[in-house]
Amino acid sequence: MRLNKYFERSLWVFHLNTGSCNGCDIEIVACLTPRYDLERFGIKLVGSPKHADVLLVTGPVTGRMLDRVKRVYEQTPDPKAVIAVGACGTSGGVFYNSYNLSGSIDKVIPVDVYVPGCPPRPEAIINGVLQAWIKLEKLRESMKVASVK
Amino acid sequence: MLGLLETGSGFWSAIIWIVLVLVIGSIVIYIRNKGEDSYKKNTEQDKPFISGNPEESKEGSHLSASHIYWGFTEALKGYYNPLVKMHTGNINDYSSWIIVITVIILIMVGVSG
Repeated sequence: MRLNKYFERSLWVFHLNTGSCNGCDIEIVACLTPRYDLERFGIKLVGSPKHADVLLVTGPVTGRMLDRVKRVYEQTPDPKAVIAVGACGTSGGVFYNSYNLSGSIDKVIPVDVYVPGCPPRPEAIINGVLQAWIKLEKLRESMKVASVK
Repeated sequence: MLGLLETGSGFWSAIIWIVLVLVIGSIVIYIRNKGEDSYKKNTEQDKPFISGNPEESKEGSHLSASHIYWGFTEALKGYYNPLVKMHTGNINDYSSWIIVITVIILIMVGVSG
């Protein structure tokens, strides 16, 4: 028996801003307000990637954030999923060829779910989190099968 | 010594205290052993999260006693910096300072006396 298995379906999310204008960040906060209230499903933002199942990344990756993004990704325990939120996160947006950018998030760390929009609506972000949830369930199943073998 | 001590407002028993420590300690160790143990050792997952910043060396993050009066030495750095430079750690330099200052004092005493 492991205590952790009872928390598997309570998805804990770490939000990482890699250079966003805060537009996407405000929509993420909107997901937690009473109108959408994601926390009633056990989905909540946490203060450390070491406690997280999912990385919710907003903004294009600036040069200064490059190694920090990689470090936060590496510090997140497995299995994990990464969601790129917003036009800048998914493609670099209007800043795609800026001199101080390292590119979109998937050029730095592997991304599982893309949520486009500038900013995306809370419904779209919630759908992205659910997609990540499905992906995590599959990852956990495959890890269990691998550990049995 | 191991008997029950009545204090008027309660009691104290060394045996009950030891039993409680053992029971609570066992529960704590049991719960701790049920925690996450699948993290990858000797990787970033093993290191503290400092907002994505790299962990500084113990020497780099150590707060020394001199940090307490940093403002004082910063304000008087015109005075302190030459003093720090004079402290070379070489005993020959210190001996030379003693000889030079002794000579100066003897000359001053000789001239005024």
